[in-house]
Amino acid sequence: MSEITLVIDGVECRGEKGDTILEVARKNDIYIPTLCWMEGLTPIGSCRMCVVEVEKNPKLLTACTTPAVQDMRVSTKTEKLKKYRLQILELLFAGRNHFCMFCSQSGDCELQRLAIEHGMDNVRYPFLYESFHNDATDPHIQIDHNRCILCLRCIRVCAEKVGAHTLDLEQRGWGTNIVADLGKKLGESDTCITCGACAQVCPTGTITLRDFVYRGRRNDCDDIVESICPLCSLGCRIKAWVRTGSVVRVEGLSGTSADGGQLCQRGRWELPKSTERDRVTVPMIRTGSTFREASWDEALTLAASKMKGALESGKAAALLSELSTDEELTVMSSFFRDTLKMDKVDGYYGNMLRGFVDGFRPFADQGIRPFTAAHNIASSDAIVLLDANPQEEAPVAASYIRVSTILERAKLVNISTVKNPFEGITDVDIRTTEKEMEDLIRTLRQGVEGQDVPEKLKEAAELLKNAQKPVIVIGSSLASYPSIVTEAVNLAVASGAFFEDGLGVVPMLRASNSLGALNTVTGTKDWLTDSDLDFLYVLSTGMVDEDKRALEAMSRARFVVVHTPFMSHPLVNMADVLLPAPAWYERSGHYCTLEGERRRMNMIVPPKGNVKGLSVIMKDLAAKLGHELAQASAAPCENIYASTAEPVAARTVSMKEEG
Amino acid sequence: MAKAKLASVWLEACAGCHMSFLDIDERIVGLLEKVELTSTPITDIKVIPEVDVGVIEGALGNEEELHIAKELREKCKILIAWGDCAVFGGINCMRNFMPAEEVLREGFVDTVSTVNPEGVIPRVDVPALLPQAIPVDRAVKVDVYVPGCPPDADTIYYIFSEILEGRIPTVPTDVMRYD
Repeated sequence: MSEITLVIDGVECRGEKGDTILEVARKNDIYIPTLCWMEGLTPIGSCRMCVVEVEKNPKLLTACTTPAVQDMRVSTKTEKLKKYRLQILELLFAGRNHFCMFCSQSGDCELQRLAIEHGMDNVRYPFLYESFHNDATDPHIQIDHNRCILCLRCIRVCAEKVGAHTLDLEQRGWGTNIVADLGKKLGESDTCITCGACAQVCPTGTITLRDFVYRGRRNDCDDIVESICPLCSLGCRIKAWVRTGSVVRVEGLSGTSADGGQLCQRGRWELPKSTERDRVTVPMIRTGSTFREASWDEALTLAASKMKGALESGKAAALLSELSTDEELTVMSSFFRDTLKMDKVDGYYGNMLRGFVDGFRPFADQGIRPFTAAHNIASSDAIVLLDANPQEEAPVAASYIRVSTILERAKLVNISTVKNPFEGITDVDIRTTEKEMEDLIRTLRQGVEGQDVPEKLKEAAELLKNAQKPVIVIGSSLASYPSIVTEAVNLAVASGAFFEDGLGVVPMLRASNSLGALNTVTGTKDWLTDSDLDFLYVLSTGMVDEDKRALEAMSRARFVVVHTPFMSHPLVNMADVLLPAPAWYERSGHYCTLEGERRRMNMIVPPKGNVKGLSVIMKDLAAKLGHELAQASAAPCENIYASTAEPVAARTVSMKEEG
Repeated sequence: MAKAKLASVWLEACAGCHMSFLDIDERIVGLLEKVELTSTPITDIKVIPEVDVGVIEGALGNEEELHIAKELREKCKILIAWGDCAVFGGINCMRNFMPAEEVLREGFVDTVSTVNPEGVIPRVDVPALLPQAIPVDRAVKVDVYVPGCPPDADTIYYIFSEILEGRIPTVPTDVMRYD
C-alpha cells in the first residue's frame, strides 16, 4: 500500500491509496457527519450528509464513496456544506413520521443527533404526512416504515454480514420501502434468521427489537460491558447495556471485526431472557420430595460425607459443563484430578470431544493444528459441509458460509445424511448414510488427488481440485466416528486447505469452551453411560439442556450434588444437594474459542443470591475431605494443538494401515 | 425603563411548555422585574393587548387556534414558537395521517369507550377542525423557534434573557432537544 497525503480543512492528512476521503478524515480525527455510511458495510453515498468540497471540482462529492487522491484539497466544514446538510436533514424530517416525542429511539437516534448538531430548530418544508405501514408480524423485530430514511444499512448488513439477504427495496420514489423476501411481511419471511442485525444498525426508530425498546436509552444506562457470548463454540464478542441491574440491550461489537459485529438469535436474546429466569439462590438439601434451605457449611459437609465413602469405593464422579471458563475448568481439574485423583471426570460433551480428538490425533502428532479459525470460512473459495448444520451448531458460522457463497461466489458442497441445510445455494449436494460416509470422503479425496471417481463425486472433486482455499466443516454428529473425522482432515490436506493457523477444517464443537475443557475436564473414556455411582457432582450453567444420557446417570447415582444458577428442570429434581452458582453473565474468565482466540468474558451484572466462588467451594470441600487443594497440573487451552509445523507440511494418513 | 410586555397562548398542546417555564423557579422573580406578563394561561387574562413578545405553545388544529395565532402575530413584535408542537406540529400530527373527518369519527363515535348511539359529531358552537394540525409557521411568521417536548427551563430562561437584551436568539445545539 502506498501512502498518499492530502489536505483536509487545511490540515495535511496521510492515508493509504484506495482510501476514501472519509476514511482518511477519520484516520486523522477530522469529523465528517454521516448517516447512511457505516463502518464495515459497503458505502453507497445515498444520504449525502457527508458531502465535501474539493478544490477545482464544481460538484459536491460524497466523502464516503470518493477515493482520496494525492494532493487533493478538501473542505468539510464550509457554510455552503452546512447549508446543504441542514437542508437534507429538514427534507428527511419532512418526508415521513419523524416526530421524536413519540418514538422509542428518541435519544438513541442518529438522525435526531445530526439534526440537533446542525442546529435544526424548525423545518422549512411542508411535512408530507404520508402513511406507511407498521410491520409487527415478527415476534421479535418490528419495522415501522414511517420512521425509515432509506439509508439501506439494514439491507446491507443483512446481505453482507449475515448473508441472509432477507431485506431489500420495493417500489420507487416516495413509495420506496424496505421489504422482506420480495414482498412478504418480516414475520412470514423464510430467509430471516431473526438475528436482529438490522435493528442494531438502524439509525432511527424504524427497526426495533421489542425486548429492548423503552427499557432505557443508551445514555441512561449505568454500564456498558464488553464480554463474549458462551452459547456456542464461536464465542462472539458482545456489548451489553445494563440499566438498574438488568440487561436492556445486547449488540455485536464492531463492524470491522471478522464476524462483522453480528450476533445470532441466541446471542441477542438469551442474555436478557436468562436474567429473568428462576434462580437457585441458596444452598438446599433434599428432604423427601422437597428441599430445605441450608448453610453452605451444612450443604458442603453433607456432600463431603457422602463423597468420602464413594471415593474409597471408586464410585465418585463429576460431570462438568464445557461452558465454564478456563479458570473454573482449572479449579475443577485441580480438585477432581490432582487432589482427589478421580478418574470418573468428564464434560457433558465428552464423547463428542473425544471423537474429534481421536480423529485429529494423527495430524496433531505431526505437529499440525488440524483446524482453523471459523471466520476463515468467510475468505474461503470452496466449502464442504460434512453432516454439519451450522445454523444450529454455531449460527454465525452459517453466516460466514452464506456470505462466502452468495457474495464471494465460493462453491458450496454439502455431504450429509440429512436434509441440506443450505438448500438453494449449494453447488453440489450429496446424500449418503453414516456407514458410507467414510468411504465416500476417502473416494472424494482420492478424486482430488487425481484418481477416477464415481459420477456423483466428479463435480465435487473437480471443484476442490481447483479451489485455492477450501474449508471442510465437520458436523458434531460425525464425532461419533473418529475415522470419518480423520478422513475429513485428509480431504482438507489433499485439497490444499492450508490457512496460516492450521488446516482448513472447522469442527462444530458446540460447547463454547470445548478447547479449554480438553486437557482439564474431558475424560479419557465414557463412564457416564453405564455408571454405577455413589456420588455425582454436576456443574451446570443451565444454558444447555441436559441430555438423556446425563439425566439417566443422575437418576442412577445414589447421591447427586447439582451446582447450577437456574431452577432448570428436570436437572434440579435430580439433586440431593443443590448449590447456587453465578449465571454465565455474572462470571469473569476466559474462553478458548473456535475463532482461534482466547477471549475474555466480563461480568455483566453482579451475581445474585448467596453464591461463592468455585475455588472457595472446592477448597472448603477439599478441607472437609482432609485434603489441601493441589496445584492444577494442566492449564486449559495452552499448548493444545499448538502448531509446531507449517500446515502445508501436513500429510494424509491412511486409516486402514493404522488398523 | 418600562417593562417589556409578554403574552403567551396555549393552543393545541398539553401545557407542558408553560409548566416547564415555571421550572425556572426563583429566577422568575428577577424576570418579572423586567417583564410584564399580560395575557397568559398563568395570569388567566383572556384579551391579548399589544405586546413586545408573543409566545405560542402548541400546534394549530382548529379555526379558533388559527385565529388566535394570527391575532397574536399582529399584536406582538417578536413571535416565539415554543415547544415541539408549535415548531413541528408534534404529537398533534399523528392525526394528519388520516382525513380530518375520520379523526372526528374515531374520537366521537368509533372509540370503544364512547357511548354515542346516534353517532353525533359536535359541529355547533365549537371551532371547526382544520384539515391537518399544522406548525405555527405554516400560518404566521415565526421569529424564534424553541423546539423541545418541553424545552428545558434553562433553555426558556436563556431565550427570554436574550430577547430582553435586544437579541434574536437561537437555541444552542448543546441544549436543543426534540423530546
